[in-house]
Amino acid sequence: MSVILSLLAQILHIGLMIVAAPTVAGVMEWLEARLTGRSGPPIQLPWRDLLRLSRKTPVTLESVSIVARLAPIAGLGATLSAAALVPSFTLGMALAPLADLLVVISLLTVARVAGDLAALDSGTALPGLAAQNSSALAVLAEPALMLSVFTLALMGGSFNLDLIVGQQREGLLLPAAASAVALTALLALLYGDGSMTSSALDQMFSGTDLALSRMTGWLRRLIWIDLIGGLFLPIGLGSANAGPADWLIGLACWGIKLGAFILCMAGIHAGLGRIPRHRLPDLIGVAALLALLATIIVLTSAGTA
Amino acid sequence: MPSVSDPILLFLVVDIVALLLLGACAAAMPLAITGFLATGLCGLGTLLCLPPLLVRMPATVLDLPLGPPSLPLHLALDPLSAFFLLIAFLCGTAVAAFQATTAPLADAESVWVTAFCLAGTATFLLAADGITLAIGVALACGAIWLSRNNRHRQAVLLVPLLFLTATCLLTPSGFAPRFDAIRTAPIDSDHAAAATALAIAAVAGLILGRSADRGWTRDALIAGALIPSASYLLLRLVADLSGGAAQNGWGFVLVIIGGALAIIQSWHSAATPDLDAAVAGLARRQAGLSMAGVGLVLIARAADLPGAASFGLAAVLLLAIGGSVAGSLTALAAHAIGTSAGTYRLSRLGGLVHAMPGTSASLAVGLLALSALPPGLGFACLWLLFQSILSAPRTGGLLSQLPLALVAAAIAVSAALATVTSVRLIGIAVLGRPRSPRGAGARESKSPTRAILLVLAGISLVVGVLPGPALWLLAEPAIRALTGVPPGSRAGLALLSASASSPGYLALPVLALLALATGAVTIALRWSRKESRAAGLWADGMEPPVGLPFGDPVAQSTGAGFLPALPVLALPRLPPIPSVPLPRAWSAVGGLWLVLAAFGALLLALSVMG
Repeated sequence: MSVILSLLAQILHIGLMIVAAPTVAGVMEWLEARLTGRSGPPIQLPWRDLLRLSRKTPVTLESVSIVARLAPIAGLGATLSAAALVPSFTLGMALAPLADLLVVISLLTVARVAGDLAALDSGTALPGLAAQNSSALAVLAEPALMLSVFTLALMGGSFNLDLIVGQQREGLLLPAAASAVALTALLALLYGDGSMTSSALDQMFSGTDLALSRMTGWLRRLIWIDLIGGLFLPIGLGSANAGPADWLIGLACWGIKLGAFILCMAGIHAGLGRIPRHRLPDLIGVAALLALLATIIVLTSAGTA
Repeated sequence: MPSVSDPILLFLVVDIVALLLLGACAAAMPLAITGFLATGLCGLGTLLCLPPLLVRMPATVLDLPLGPPSLPLHLALDPLSAFFLLIAFLCGTAVAAFQATTAPLADAESVWVTAFCLAGTATFLLAADGITLAIGVALACGAIWLSRNNRHRQAVLLVPLLFLTATCLLTPSGFAPRFDAIRTAPIDSDHAAAATALAIAAVAGLILGRSADRGWTRDALIAGALIPSASYLLLRLVADLSGGAAQNGWGFVLVIIGGALAIIQSWHSAATPDLDAAVAGLARRQAGLSMAGVGLVLIARAADLPGAASFGLAAVLLLAIGGSVAGSLTALAAHAIGTSAGTYRLSRLGGLVHAMPGTSASLAVGLLALSALPPGLGFACLWLLFQSILSAPRTGGLLSQLPLALVAAAIAVSAALATVTSVRLIGIAVLGRPRSPRGAGARESKSPTRAILLVLAGISLVVGVLPGPALWLLAEPAIRALTGVPPGSRAGLALLSASASSPGYLALPVLALLALATGAVTIALRWSRKESRAAGLWADGMEPPVGLPFGDPVAQSTGAGFLPALPVLALPRLPPIPSVPLPRAWSAVGGLWLVLAAFGALLLALSVMG
């Protein structure tokens, strides 16, 4: 029975993530516009975009190889795999044993690499330049992310996401100072991630390929929100074996957390604006230093792990 | 009582002697025959190493009636040496087979360099005393570095002398520098510290030493045989022979040096303009990570944490497999590309995925194994290193914990740099459009050569997807011998696990999940996808240049802007090393002179040390 429940929870989770990703993107765009005094696009615009793009005949460059043709599929596949591993409304889903934090963030890296390779395969100047910039920023951003999750793994004694979230729920992730510093680093990275994606990277995609690329970006943002929400605000996350009643509570809490995150991010974007590209290395560098500081705090707090 | 593996050790010695003879006679034999002979001898060595590892045979010793008076040479085959011997011979087999099948055939120099380097590497891997070890290192280093163009060729003798001195420092007074004598007697901590320092210096020299002659044989042998074997030397001298006498502090030193080396080498790879230099840098990055892994083993052993030590050692051994298989694969693939496209310069390559699909795919698989993307071999190594830091002791305050935090940061940065390097090399050299007419005329390698690359790529993929079983089959006896515990508590099928409560890293299920998700997306696309329409290059509405109707290929990224070059530290210039007259003759005579010179130096060192 428990196996069936965990499997059902996993399928429901994947379905919710797929549905929520464009919706969250639409709500965030609308809210950001409303906060800046504009009427804003309709909330269902991302869904309409997906439908419109999927009906269009894709145009591919004659010179590209199979890499560029497969890259959008591989990118979405890797992001979907990562999304399946990050808990949303319940813990103990069927894929929980695979939910290693290093695996999750490396799957996101796989998706980024697929996009960069497709851009370089196009053989044109602007996408190639965007891939170069994306790779250069990743040199700072990925170690910062890796160190942040390593800090949490040090506190939880394992890289498994479910175990760490479970310990956080019981208040066992100590010291709290390291947790706070790691959270700040992750929030800075989330803020920077929104400005890192360049439209030039998608320039050679059209039709369904462009729809896949956009979906990958929206799903990536949702994974970030779920990851931070699950690790630092594990409210309502029960065991998948507890049954549908607990799932409903988890779903309600997940909705509230998503709403709060959307509001905060839209507020930050409306208040501060998107960070200029030339200032991104500074922001990510600060996040990396914060992540290193969090690691040092945990390591020097004897007996905490 | 003689054990079953005695004949294997004997056959290995015969194999080494045959390699030496082949190296000595290479110039006088037809090239086609020498290449196949070298392949056969290296392949035989690989096969001979398998039974001791798979059947878990006990260690055996063989005394040779050679060497200075009262100091006969000793050889031993134990799980650690058998593991490293296997990967060295595997690399040798691939390099020799590549030499035998590549067009045009490799010259006689390449064959003797391979034969002498492999013979030397096998000798120091089997050595059971300091003298044999130094002779083997001298032979391997001499084969790689000794050339007329090498300004620092005198340093060839320095590395084996450092190893010999380190062994002598560990030897109790009044005994020959035999490993069994060192293991039985207690070691003075000062001597152990000095020996560790010398071993680190020698290994650093071995890793960073470069040949003046730019040749693919040397590059492949350095990446696939010499650099992984440097990890063996470090493990043997610092973790095995020094026993518990190696100070905890040296663990921290190794961790810092290894982390710095990994960052510097991967940064060089990400910034260098040449394909072959970039893959060579990635191989050296593996060596830096291995040094950090050995440091973590020392730290964990000093704190009596065998589990953490086991993770560190598993990481070192997996890095050695990755370095050997993927390092030689990328070096050989880079050579195949360089030969066919006429250049190693990234800014003149491009579009090779169309002209050389097999070679390009092999290069990509090799780079996947050297970077940190799941489910590749490099990611398994990264996971094990982080797991080792996670399990490291938490005592000693800031001074003890700061190196651990720094090495975690160094591992993360080097992983990101390695991934960027892989994107750069694949994206610039393999994908896109050809950037030069010569590059556009590149043609795929011959079938046998391509088959060698694909076999190496297959091995790299299989070990990446099944790191647990690979460690269990090949490295478990070595890890148990050095740490007392197996690699992970449940290193079963596709599983590296920290403890029974922690699920660990499951590479095969992660691959299955990735395939399932990608397959689901593909099926969903089939549902709605329309037939795509091909179009020419879009240059943001600009007219193509005159004479280039398909766009200017130079407008593509050349790979120069990914990362800036590392700033060079303005160190004071060292005084030039006085020139030592070395025999100018080559091949057999050169090798004999080298061996004789090494012997003389070793005997002198022994007499000085009493």
